[in-house]
Amino acid sequence: MNRIETSFENLKKDIAAFYKPQAHHFITMNGVDLGNDVIEYQWFFCDYAFPSDITMFVTRANVDVQVPSIKNIIVSAWLPEAELVDLLGVNIEDTQKGFVLELDSETAPLRKK
Amino acid sequence: MALNKFRTKSPWILHYNAGSCNGCDIEILACLAPKYDIERFGMINTGNPKQSDIMLVTGPVTKRSRERLVDIYSQMPEPKVVIACGSCGCSGGVFRGMYNCEGGIDQYIPVDVYVPGCGCRPEQIIAGVVEALAILEKKTKDMEGSVKLHNDPIEQDGQTNRREVAAVI
Amino acid sequence: MSTQYNIPVGAQHISLLEPLHFKFTTENEKIIKTEANVGYVHRGIEQACCSKFKFRQVSFVVGRVCGLCSISHTTCYSQVAEKLLKLDIPKRAKYLRMLVIELDRIHSHLLCLSHVAENSGFEALFMKTMRHREFSMELLEAVCGNRIQYDFSIIGGVARDLRTDVAQSILDKFKIFRPQLDELVDIYKTNWSLSLKNKGIGVLSKEDAIRLNVVGPFARASGLGVDVRNETEELLPWKEVGFEIITDTAGDVHARNMVRLKEIYVSMKIIENIINGLPEGDLISDTKAFPEGEAVNRIEAPRGELFYYAKGNKTQVLERLKIKAPTFSNIPAMVETFTNNEYASVPAIIGSYDPCLSCTSR
Repeated sequence: MNRIETSFENLKKDIAAFYKPQAHHFITMNGVDLGNDVIEYQWFFCDYAFPSDITMFVTRANVDVQVPSIKNIIVSAWLPEAELVDLLGVNIEDTQKGFVLELDSETAPLRKK
Repeated sequence: MALNKFRTKSPWILHYNAGSCNGCDIEILACLAPKYDIERFGMINTGNPKQSDIMLVTGPVTKRSRERLVDIYSQMPEPKVVIACGSCGCSGGVFRGMYNCEGGIDQYIPVDVYVPGCGCRPEQIIAGVVEALAILEKKTKDMEGSVKLHNDPIEQDGQTNRREVAAVI
Repeated sequence: MSTQYNIPVGAQHISLLEPLHFKFTTENEKIIKTEANVGYVHRGIEQACCSKFKFRQVSFVVGRVCGLCSISHTTCYSQVAEKLLKLDIPKRAKYLRMLVIELDRIHSHLLCLSHVAENSGFEALFMKTMRHREFSMELLEAVCGNRIQYDFSIIGGVARDLRTDVAQSILDKFKIFRPQLDELVDIYKTNWSLSLKNKGIGVLSKEDAIRLNVVGPFARASGLGVDVRNETEELLPWKEVGFEIITDTAGDVHARNMVRLKEIYVSMKIIENIINGLPEGDLISDTKAFPEGEAVNRIEAPRGELFYYAKGNKTQVLERLKIKAPTFSNIPAMVETFTNNEYASVPAIIGSYDPCLSCTSR
């Protein structure tokens, strides 16, 4: 697994430079709570030709910082982004709450208490 | 009425998935298929709650599907029977205590027959449905039985007051 | 401009097995816009796997994510946990895992095909396909002990051995099933009234499939040859047992039916090769270690690529488990493919997607 460290400022630029629609398959976006309100964001890609290489873009940020959206580079990214907004309670550009959770559900269930 | 006579012999089934894993749903589908063939009891699967008599519900009730469950149940005409299919429909099963689950169908609507198992086998579903037929017959008889009033209506201020009158079945 | 109508479908509908809500905007029977609400089945399994259950129990919990492809979920979780534990499993266990995955694929594809036939209005073909499907459920019960929810893969190997009489009965039943499948292929391929509802309906072009990152038979019917079995050899030796990829070019409902039917032939060939060349050895290898570090794993479920991410912290409870189910990747394409089709074709198109909502929202 290739691990590429990036930052929110460079994220869109890095992914746009890396992602070739003919050659790469976008798997999903993920978030992991590391404790102390720090969240690690991960974007997974795999290569159609060399599929055992999974490329992972990683960045860490505080909960309050707005995450840039990659919807205008990869159209199908709206679904994992909408899910992360609900499950981790983070703020992603142009994404609304209410994809899976109801109004009386527990807010941000995957965050550490 | 003739309609009631036919209804006891051929009840129609409504299936709703309230957040199950699909396992019990494909077993319900297998019941409709030739090997188990639930149609020999005169039952067919219908999608319309207003024409159904037996409701087969699967799954622990998730928070988003609970309103639809109660809504569909209230649209069904009396008499009606509810069957909870699968362990998670009976008690919540493995999903009991998860943050978006309510833990069982009987938290929201009255359940008449419980079918256990994860996933419940077609034979168990057929046994549950046959049991539901007897319950449906009893409920129909109760509804058709004569109604006796507790108290006689009383004349009050020149009008008949029926507020205090309760019916017993 | 003519009048536009909004038509809701779901959450309870005769053509849907699961709660799923679509809102179609139609104009002269043509669909111009679709909205989907797929969150009805969210139960919170990821959070429970990271808090309530120990890591050895999780392989039984993730099987309950989906009843149709539970073996794919348990196998994928077992593999990712073995990567965290740095554990090698015996070769016989690998072969038995592949055997049950392929048997599961046969029953899942036949269920989807019968669902397409029913939603296209061909009730007799639904009954016929379901009747021919029962043999795979009987075989799964004989191999694993349960008709659905097999709990066959566990961390370190598999839970049950394959008895020789069961292996023989699999080969015997395949001999009966093969002419039945030929007959089904003939009906799905040439039936004229079915082709009215299937050919040229719900077309997804190859460009759209690449742009929207589609996986599974949905992508392979459009000509995008993406199949995890074709790609990885490290954990399950698919090429060794005779896997070959099936693709089609048309991208409509008929092409998806054809891809699924041809994949059943490939699955049968794989199962026969596995039974004839089953290696001897242990069923399970064990370790006292605890999961540490992070790992990802992919596997081909009946609906496409299944992806697991796990992170351990040297305790009994995992720190994070992320499940990406195949239908989750396909939903953006599903919503777009409805456009410019007639509203009357919607049930057949939904059936041909083979959606699994309990996987999607978990």
